[in-house]
This record gives sequence, C-alpha cells and structure tokens, in this order.
Amino acid sequence: MKIILIVLFTLCNFYLSLFSQRPAPAPPQQKGILITNAFIHTGKGDAFIGHVGFQNGKIEFLGTANTKPPKYDTLIDAAGQHLYPGFILLNTTLGLREVDAVRATRDYAETGEIKPEVRTVIAFNTDSKIIPTVRNNGILIAQPTPRGGIIPGQSGVIHLDAWNWEDAVIRMEDGLHVNWPSRIRKYYPWDEQNESSNYFQKERQLKLQELRKIFEDARVYHVKQPVVFNQKLAAMNGLFTGEKKLFLHADFENDIIEGVMFFKELGVKEIVLVGGYEAYKILSFMKNHQLPVILKRTHSLPGYEDDPVDLPFKMPFILDTAGLLVSIDYSGDMEAMGSRNLPFTAGTCVTYGLPYEKAVQLITLNAAKILGIDQRVGSIEPGKDATFFLSNGDALDMSTNKLTHAFIQGRSINLDSHQEALYRMYMSKFGLKE
Amino acid sequence: MKKINSKPEYYRYLLLFVLIWGKGYAQPLKYNSVRDERNPVYAFTQATIHVDYETTLHNATLLVEKDRILSFGNSVAIPKEAIVINCTGKHIFPSFIEMYGSYGMPEVKHGQRGGTPQYESSRKGAFYWNDAIKPDVSASLLFNYNEQAAAELRNYGFGMVNTHQKDGIIRGSSTVALLGSDKENKQIIKEKAALHFSFNKGVSQQEYPSSQTGAIALIRQFMYDAEAYNNAKEKNEINLSLQSFNELKNLPFIMETTDKQEIFRAASIAKEFNTSFIYKGSGTEYQRLQELAEIKARLIIPVVFPQAMDVSNPYDADMVSLADLKHWELAPSNAAFLQKQGIEFAITADGCKSSKEFFDNLYKVVHRGLSKQALLKALTYTPAKMLGIDNKAGCLKKNFLANFIITEGEPGDKEFKIYEHWIAGKQYVNDFQAFLADLRGNYRISAKDVQFIDGKKLTITGKKNQYKATLHITDSTKLIIDLKQEKTTVNGNMYSRALGGFVRFNFQYDTSGIWNGWMIHPNGKIFPVSVEKTHPFEEKIEENNDDDTILPGPILLPLRAYGFLQEELNGLSNKSYLIKNATVWTCEKEGILEQTDILLENGKISKVGKGISAGKETIIIQGTGLHVTPGIIDEHSHIALSKGVNEAAESSTAEVRMADVVNADDINIYRQLAGGVTTAQLLHGSANAIGGQSAIIKLKWGRTAPEMLFPNAPGFIKFALGENVKQSNWGDNYSIRYPQTRMGVEQFYYDMFYRAREYGKNKDKNKRKDLELEALWEILNNKRFITCHSYVQSEINMLMKVADSLGFTVNTFTHILEGYKVADKMKIHGANASTFADWWAYKMEVMEAIPHNAALLTRMGVNTSVNSDDAEMARRLNQEAAKAIKYGNLSREEALKLVTLNPAKMLHIDHRVGSIKPGKDADVVIWSADPLSIYAKVLYTFIDGELYFSRERNNELTERDNKEKNRLIQAMLKAKNDGEPTIPVMRKEYWLYDCEDIHVDEVELLQIEP
Repeated sequence: MKIILIVLFTLCNFYLSLFSQRPAPAPPQQKGILITNAFIHTGKGDAFIGHVGFQNGKIEFLGTANTKPPKYDTLIDAAGQHLYPGFILLNTTLGLREVDAVRATRDYAETGEIKPEVRTVIAFNTDSKIIPTVRNNGILIAQPTPRGGIIPGQSGVIHLDAWNWEDAVIRMEDGLHVNWPSRIRKYYPWDEQNESSNYFQKERQLKLQELRKIFEDARVYHVKQPVVFNQKLAAMNGLFTGEKKLFLHADFENDIIEGVMFFKELGVKEIVLVGGYEAYKILSFMKNHQLPVILKRTHSLPGYEDDPVDLPFKMPFILDTAGLLVSIDYSGDMEAMGSRNLPFTAGTCVTYGLPYEKAVQLITLNAAKILGIDQRVGSIEPGKDATFFLSNGDALDMSTNKLTHAFIQGRSINLDSHQEALYRMYMSKFGLKE
Repeated sequence: MKKINSKPEYYRYLLLFVLIWGKGYAQPLKYNSVRDERNPVYAFTQATIHVDYETTLHNATLLVEKDRILSFGNSVAIPKEAIVINCTGKHIFPSFIEMYGSYGMPEVKHGQRGGTPQYESSRKGAFYWNDAIKPDVSASLLFNYNEQAAAELRNYGFGMVNTHQKDGIIRGSSTVALLGSDKENKQIIKEKAALHFSFNKGVSQQEYPSSQTGAIALIRQFMYDAEAYNNAKEKNEINLSLQSFNELKNLPFIMETTDKQEIFRAASIAKEFNTSFIYKGSGTEYQRLQELAEIKARLIIPVVFPQAMDVSNPYDADMVSLADLKHWELAPSNAAFLQKQGIEFAITADGCKSSKEFFDNLYKVVHRGLSKQALLKALTYTPAKMLGIDNKAGCLKKNFLANFIITEGEPGDKEFKIYEHWIAGKQYVNDFQAFLADLRGNYRISAKDVQFIDGKKLTITGKKNQYKATLHITDSTKLIIDLKQEKTTVNGNMYSRALGGFVRFNFQYDTSGIWNGWMIHPNGKIFPVSVEKTHPFEEKIEENNDDDTILPGPILLPLRAYGFLQEELNGLSNKSYLIKNATVWTCEKEGILEQTDILLENGKISKVGKGISAGKETIIIQGTGLHVTPGIIDEHSHIALSKGVNEAAESSTAEVRMADVVNADDINIYRQLAGGVTTAQLLHGSANAIGGQSAIIKLKWGRTAPEMLFPNAPGFIKFALGENVKQSNWGDNYSIRYPQTRMGVEQFYYDMFYRAREYGKNKDKNKRKDLELEALWEILNNKRFITCHSYVQSEINMLMKVADSLGFTVNTFTHILEGYKVADKMKIHGANASTFADWWAYKMEVMEAIPHNAALLTRMGVNTSVNSDDAEMARRLNQEAAKAIKYGNLSREEALKLVTLNPAKMLHIDHRVGSIKPGKDADVVIWSADPLSIYAKVLYTFIDGELYFSRERNNELTERDNKEKNRLIQAMLKAKNDGEPTIPVMRKEYWLYDCEDIHVDEVELLQIEP
C-alpha cells in the first residue's frame, strides 16, 4: 500500500512538473542536512574541498575534507560538485516585468521624475515564470529596483523562492535610487549638433536644483518632527542615518564626482555607485571615498567607439585591483529573462584577469555587503543563512553550470521550470531521451 | 512618343542658343519710357588676366562687347569707342560656376509628421507612383529671378548657377541660370542641364522608401520602368514621370551623396544601367581614394569642414571619437588628396554660410596642397565641362560669355577680394573701394595758421581701405586720425587735447599726391590745410609663419579607431602561416585533433596534420595549449549596415538588397573579429512579411564594402512572421497595412507568389523588369533562399505548407523559438533552424521559447545554428553555442558546429567555410582555451589567410590610437587658442540595429522588441 502511494505520489509529481506553471515554493527545512566533499567556494575569496552542515535554515558546520562533521539526518555526497553561496542579482527589474512588449506586465517605472515614496517589494511578482529559469542557474537573491525619472524610488531585497512577497522579503527598503542628471547630452548621428545644447544644460540645472531641494527638505524633515506628514520626505529618512543606501546611477567620470560630492554635502551616509562605466578613470577618487560600485553587465559593448574592445570585460578586474568593493549587475536590454546569465558575466571577468574566487565574490559576498545583508548571506560561514547551491561543474561557465541542489534558508528548492517541462514534453512527444 | 516630343525640344535648345548669341530671336522689349539701348565696348587694361585655369597673361587687355568677350591679349588694339578701365594690380578671372545650387527655386516645405501612414502617392496628376520620384520637375519652370540671392552669390564669385530643387530621390532637371539682374528669359542659358538624384526622399510623406536600401531599389525599379515605357509600342497609360526621364536621360546625372560609401553604391546603379553619375560629394572622399580612382569618379566637392570642438574640458575631450578628430584634421586636405590621385572634381560652395567662409576655406584647401591652378579649374573649367557649357563659359576666350570677376589676389589666397563682377557684359560692383587710389605713404602737412600741426609728418599705413593714419606732433606725441576715403575726397577727424577737442579735416585729392582742403578747429574756426606726399608706401612682406603647420596624420582605413594604414592593408595578403601543436576542432568527421599543425597558404587551409614543415617565408605560430576552430559564422546579423536595416514601408520589399548598403566603417566589424566571427549574414529586418535580400559578408575590416561581400554567395532573402509583420507593437497609428493578422499573412504570401509565378511564366513577353517579383520568382525556382524570422509553431507550419504547395523549400527559419514543437515537420520539409540560445519573454510570441531549442532540433536531425541578431552577443557566439551543452546536453563538438559548420551549410557556403579541412578558405580562429568555455578568448582571427585580428596588434593599436587622439586634442586646443570658433562636445550614440529597427528618414526612429 505504502509503495502504491509512493508510486502514485511520484506520478502525480511528474504530472505536476510536466504541466504546472511553476514549481511550488519549498517548505521550511525540517531536517538537518550534511553536504560532504563538495568543492566549496566560500564567497570570501577562498575555496576548498569540505563539508557543510545546516539545520533550521542556518549553516552550523563548515569544515575541510579532513575534519569530521557532526551527524545529520540527511546526507548529500557532493564529491565532484561545486558549492557556491547563492548568487545575488543586483539592480534588476526581475519580478517587476513579465513580457517586455506588453505594457500591462510592466511595473518598474512609476510616472513622474521624483518618486522616493515608491518601493518595489510590494509589486514583486513571486509567481513570475521567469524566476525559476533564473534561479536554476544559481541566482537565489535579487534586488528588485525601480526605473525611470530622477528618483525612480526604493529598491528592496528578496529571496527568489516564495509564495508571496511577504515570504520573499529580506529587506523591504534597502535604498533609494537616483539617476544622476548627466552633464553629457547624448545625441544621435542625425541630431543637429549645436541645437539646444544650452537648453539642455539649463534643463539639467533645473533638475539638479529640484534634486537638491528635495534632499534638503528631507534632511530638515528628518531632523525636526514634521507638522504635516510627507510620504516623499519620510521615505528618505534612512539616508541620513545610513539605514538606507543611496544608489547613485552614473556612468561618466564627472557625473560620478559631481554626484558623490553632491550627496556627501547633503549628509547622505552611504553611497553606492551603479553603472560606473568611467569609474576606472578616477580610481583615486573612488578610493578616497571608499565608494562601492555595481558595474553594468560585463557582457556589454564598449561605451565609446574608441574604447578597447575588452574594456567592459576587464572593468571589474581593474576596480578590484584598485581595492574597491565591486559587484556586477545584469541591467540593460533583455535584463529580466537574460539575468540567468549573470554567473557567466562573472566568469568572463576571470578570462580577463580577475582571480576565480574573486569573481565568485563579486556576485556573492560583495553584493551582500552592498545590500547590507552580509551578516546573513553572501558567504559560506556558520551562522549565516543556508542559502547556497550545488553545481555539477563550474557554475561561472555556461557549459558546466548545472545545479543539482539549491537551498534558500535551508529550504530545498525545486529546480524545475516551465521551460524544463516543455522540454520534457516535446522530448517525450518525439521519443527522444536525454 | 519620343519622336514627336524630341523636335520641339530640339528647337527649344536651338532657340536658346540663338537668343544667347543675339542673332536670332529675342522677344520684343516693352518700354515704359523711350528706348534706351546701349552697347559700349569695354577695355580692361593693365590687368593680370587668367584666360583659363592654365593661361595667365600679365599686363593684358580684355575687350568686351555686349555680353561676350571680343578679344584678349597683351597687344590688343583698343578701339576708339571703348570705355577703358585701368586694372593695374588687379586680376581678372572667369566667373566661377556653382554646380550645385538651388538659386531661384521655391522653398520646399515639410508637411506635418505623424498620423496615419501614407502608403500611396499623394501627387495629383499622371505621375509615377512614388512621391519622391519627380524627374518631371523642371527647374527652368520653377525658376524665379531673385536679386538678393543673386547679389549674394555674385559675392562668392559665381556668375552662373546650375540650380535645382533639392528635394526627392529623383529631383528633376536643373537649369543653368546667370546671376545677372535681367528677366528670367535672359538668365537661363541652359534650360535643362542635368538630372538630379539623391538617396534622400526629402519631404515626401509616403512611407516608401524608409531606408537607403529602399531608395536604391526605387531608383533601379524606376529606371527599369522607364526603359520598358520607352520600348513599349503601345502604352496602356500615360506616365509623365517616365516620359520626362526618357527625354532627359542623355543629360548628365548628378547624384548627391552624404558619405564616400554612397558613391560606390550609386556607381553600381550606374553600372547596371550603363550610365554614369557625377557625384555631389560629402567631403569624406579622401577616405577611399584608391577605389574612387578605380571607378573614375567625377565629383562635385563641398568645401565646408567640420568645426573644431571645444575640448578644453578633459571630460569633454574624452568623448570625442578618433574618427571625428581625424576627419576634422583631414577634411581640408580632401581636394589636395583628390588632385594627387588624379580624380576630376568641381568645387561647390554648397553648405558655406558666407562668401568669407567660402574664401577662407578655399585658402585652407590651397594651404593643404591643392594647387591654385587646380582650384581655378575646379571652379570654372570643370563645372563648365560637366554641364556641357564649356563652349561658352569657364574661360575668357573670344566669343565666350563675358562673365568675369575683377579681384585683388587669387582664389586660394589669404586675402582675396572681388571688386567687380561682370555677368554677360553687365557690371555689378561688389566693392566700390576697388578703384580708389592707394593713399598709403608719408606726408608733410602745411597749415600756416595752425602752428600745432604745420610742417608735421603724417604717415598712412595699414591695409588699403583700412588705413591707419598717424600725425606725428613730436617724436613721442602721436595723434591718430580716423580717415575716410572716397573717390576724390578724404576726410578725417582726430582728438587733440592741446587744441581742446575734435579736429575735423576735409581734403580733395588726385593722383599727384597733393591734397588740398581745410580743417575745422574744435572752436569752430576753419583754416586752410594742404598735405603733400613725401615718401611712397613700402610694403613690408610678412614672414610666412604657416610653414610650421603640422602635416595631418595618416589616413586610416576605415578612418576610425583600430583602422589600418593603406600599406598595412596591402601587406595582409600573400603571407602563409603555420600553426603548430594546437588542439584543432575540425568540425569534420576527424573531430578534435590534439597536437596538430595547420598550414594556411594562398588564402586556403592547405594542410592539417602532424609535423607539417613550412617554407622559409612561412610565419610560425606556436599553438601549444591553444585551440583552433573554423571562423565563427553568424547567420543573423545586422551590423555594418547604413541608414536602415528595415525597408518597413510595405508588406513586401523583396526588391531591396542589403548588399547595397553594407557599411564597411562599422567598428562592430572589428569588435566581432575580436570574438572570432569571420562571416556574417546581414539580414533585412523583420518589419514585413517579405523583407529584403541579404548580404553575406566576410568581416574583412579595413576593406571596402564590395570587397567584404562573400564571393559568389547564393542569394538569400528575409521573410518574417508574427507580431512584427502584423505591426502589433508599432503603436495605434499603424493598424491599416495589410496584413494585420496571421490569417492575412498566409493570403499575402499566396498572392505574392501567384503574381511572381505569372510574372515568371510570361517573362519572355514581359517588357518590364519587376525587381520585387523577380526575387520571388527566383525563390520559386530554388535560386533564392528564404531566411524566415519566426516564433510560434502555427505560422512556421503555415509557411512550410505554402512553400510545399508552391514547390519550394523554406531554407531557414531564424529565431524559430518554437521550432522544437514542429521539429519533425521541419525535418520533413527540409528547413534549417537558426535560433537564439536563451532569449525569451520580450513579447507575447516568445513566451513558450525554451533554451533547449537548439539541442532538441539538432537531435531531431534539423540542421541548426545559434545566431546573434545583436552586435554584442555576436562577439560571444561561442559562449551562446556552449549553452546547448547546458540546456539539452549536446556534445562539445556538436555545440561548436552550431556556430561554424551548421550555419555554413544553411547558407550554402559549406564548400568554402565552416570547418577545418584542406582546400577550404583559411577562415580560422586561434583561442586561448577551450572555445566553448567562458575562459576562452580570441588570440588570432584569419580570413582568407589574412590576419585581421591579433591580440598583440590590438594592444598596439589601442596605444597608437591613444597617442594619435592626444595629438589631435592638442591640435584642437591650439585651434581654439588661435581663435577658431568651436562647438560644444556631445556624446555620440551609435545606433545598433537589431531586426526590429525601423529607420525612418533619419528623423524618427521606431524601435520594437526583436
């Protein structure tokens, strides 16, 4: 009877995984698990063969191959497999968009220029069909980020496996984003060169004035108990205590310098640079201000025609070598569905100079530090969340990245997706076997 | 029809001829006064006469009677009745001829943009179906004499203008008009001088053409139509545009271009129709000198140059591209380079904002090495010859039109001034100061009653007409007099503290050097004063400081970062290479060979094996630890295309060819070489059900577009299905073009193919060549192959059924994201698949895409490739292929074939490329590691055995370009410092096409998801 039930259950499961929209979120960790003999990439810049034990969602034990681990209910022999902390996807609209061309599915850009009050987490769609496809490549944490305008709003941090956003949330509001009004006007070959250059600069000054005004007002609002509640200003409170970070989106050297000085002067405590295409040109400035950077997708074309063809590939190496806290994102074209390639964009950094474990660190511990969640996640250390995964091969290489297990707070994630289901369905239709 | 028409035409010319020479007909003049006809003879004496660009006579005389030259020479007898004008110290040149003007033409106005698209012609009348084709427009009918504009152009030195309305693709005939102030009847000296073309549709609001490739197809189709119209014995309709074109086709054709590459594009049209163009250039011609000489191009070149940019802020300087810096420096040398290369050219002032700018730029041109003789030729003789009026204009020989300028200096001099302009024997004074005496020199003042100035020295220096007059009271006390000269009088005033205010003078003078007059004392009293010249003025010849000018840097091919020098490019061929001890991915049945050598000779892979020895000249590359693969082939690319990847205006544009608009200057060619790509199919976009014909190129950076075309490649054409074709994501205005549903798409295909079949079957009877149906007829005959943009299975299936019923095969489904659902059907049909590795979720029709697509299709026996459709992804196609290992478990060998042999097969070029096999083209890439790992980077890329990319050279070039950029920024800073006007720097955005980009007339750009 028991066997029949198990068979039925398995069949049922198979049926579900074949046709369901998305795999069900994993239940909380019930039993202690010990992973043995894995090649552990700690996320802190080192790696070794060893064992990891975790219980109640937390890592309890970490030891090298020689150490003898305590006893656990479940044992996973991971010999030959790689273990990485869950990769972290920064600055993304994953979960805020589903079908790019369909307006009804786009939820990342609120109307208006200055919108500090809006926050992404409550709009984050845990049921997005895109999420499993991203998660299955090792990305377990994301920072849904708003877009558009001078102040797009506030980002948050979530786990990529949850029934709803309340379950998913790690940080509700981790920071405020600012698209720095650039001094540089873009123009296309068919634009009149001289036309409205002055107009552009004037418009820009007005934008900066507006930006200064809201930050000044927010600082005052923060200092003195306000008479009238103001949602916009209240949302900015944390910037002056360091509780929230300011994510400064800027690419050009002068914009970066201008932006950083602007916010320092206004009393903003924590600034993170996002984009930073020309940060490599002002390393001493970056260093003096200990500015963390989230570099744009490394798989990008050079920003200028004359730039070295490999520049975007090398950028993390250059900045890391300079001693900066560096991470990378996958923002840009096709960013939600394409973000499953984040690990490979880190792999490219290795090809162009960055040591391998540093490349892992870019999208694990460094990203966690930038998000202010490194006490909980980002590395394989006892006491931290059991948020990591096992891959059959090198996870930074697309030809070998193949997850066997993934855990978020110890919960064993279902690594299926509607794409896998479709694949199986048609393999079966045509009588093909793996 | 032609016969009837040609006679009046002939008479018209005859009439005009007679009219000009004053012997035949002239319409009776109406006077609102008594008759006042004067026909004096003028003698211009003592002049330096430039009879033509080659002949200069000093101290010569020019005789003019009525509107023509009577005679010229050093010993011309001056008739008694002649009015003599002494031109001592002055030059006489034939008037310049403006080849490319729009003088006297009504302004062309843009209509309102936006709203519902216009698919049909809006011109009323029996004209061609496209609003941009207007050969019937005749400048002579539009011409209106305009004194203000004429006077302005006379200041430039132009005596006549070849004028036309600058609007449309075929713009109609131009007329040559004098710049005199007579009635239009007298101004027009050649009613129809040339037929004008461009690639720019101008103010036409009609959707077609929306791209350069469309404009080219439109010109070609029109010319075929004109031929057919001419040959048809019976005409079913009257078409005034075709009729006009046929009447005008013996005129010179002038084609406006905006880049040197467009010259070659137009030249290929000319070749097809056995005609030739004169090209209105863009000033970038020097960037392809060798090739211009090869096609014997005749040019009209502008002399407007890019302005210096304000690079004083280092941040700004960083944004300026090497390409722009180099063009800024080299542009003034354009004419000199062309002269050196022996290319014929006329010079136009088109684009110059003032005569001063024009003359300044002529000076720059001469300063850069164009001889003055060549300059004069380009302003006079060459345009006259091009316009077929060299029997009456362009020089000052007997019986030629009396069109000349009296000047100080020569064109190309720093100081060049036109004093008088005579047009058809009529005087137009430009500068009344011209014939005034030169006052400069030293004088002594006599003023008996004013002791303060009596006997004092007056010196007049400075430039003529800009005198600097100084009164020397003592050695240390000098007063400046503000002098004004007129024909016979001089007056002036000065401030004198000693005399207590302003002193004013009035003199009357003559050539004797004595001035008589009076002064008005500040107190109002008047005293007689006279002035006598004591010393003539001695001109100090200024040292020429220009010799220290730095010569411009070298021309790069193409003129941008990472470009080649001509000699480097020439040195690429005729080399042989031996790669030793590498891991060779053959993509053939031999599989992956370890420790293997490859010999590249004469552009081919000559040997693959172990222990291959090589000749002395062979360059050896140590391949130990390195991997060698065939060059990567991108089946779906949109790089290296100019002005539009989509001719989006109609549902079928089978007539357009991407090969017409290959842009050899695109930096992405170089970037992709750095990613190992050697061959790419440049596809038309997916904006319509039947798109344009593809171009297959080899990425031979540095070469010209024609040199990049894959030799003897089979013809391909883009088709598209789904949302783009239905204009689903184009906005609400675009909802009227048929088809708007997948239902309509099927019927549209049937309709087009039925029409093509009818066309093909009646080909012998057909007089009219239809470029669109021709391409479809080729498909029906398996001579042209389809690459069809497709996503969902229903429509893939539909197109295969359409093809089956018409007896052809759909060669390739590209994107084909739901191909895995109909892989069995594709296999049976015989289609290839070319897919993205892992894209999806960007629009509704890709929601069921899976990354296992490539693997599943391969397993099903469908020949499959992975493509880019993206300039960035293309440089990592090896990685995209490797995803088929992750998703679907393909072997590494199979995965590499997705971007090498398989695309070669689907492009029918696998006999040449796609694998490493003796006899195949030496398109080979050397990688630092396993090419399917993320850790591989390209070290060398060979195409046809020529090394187009190497890592070391890449690093050297980065350094070279940095240095050159720095030098040019220094030069630009100096220019600013020297007082040149500058423009602000702006960041240039380079538009990267993917297949949904619709390039609308360079102004609007509509981008939709791929």
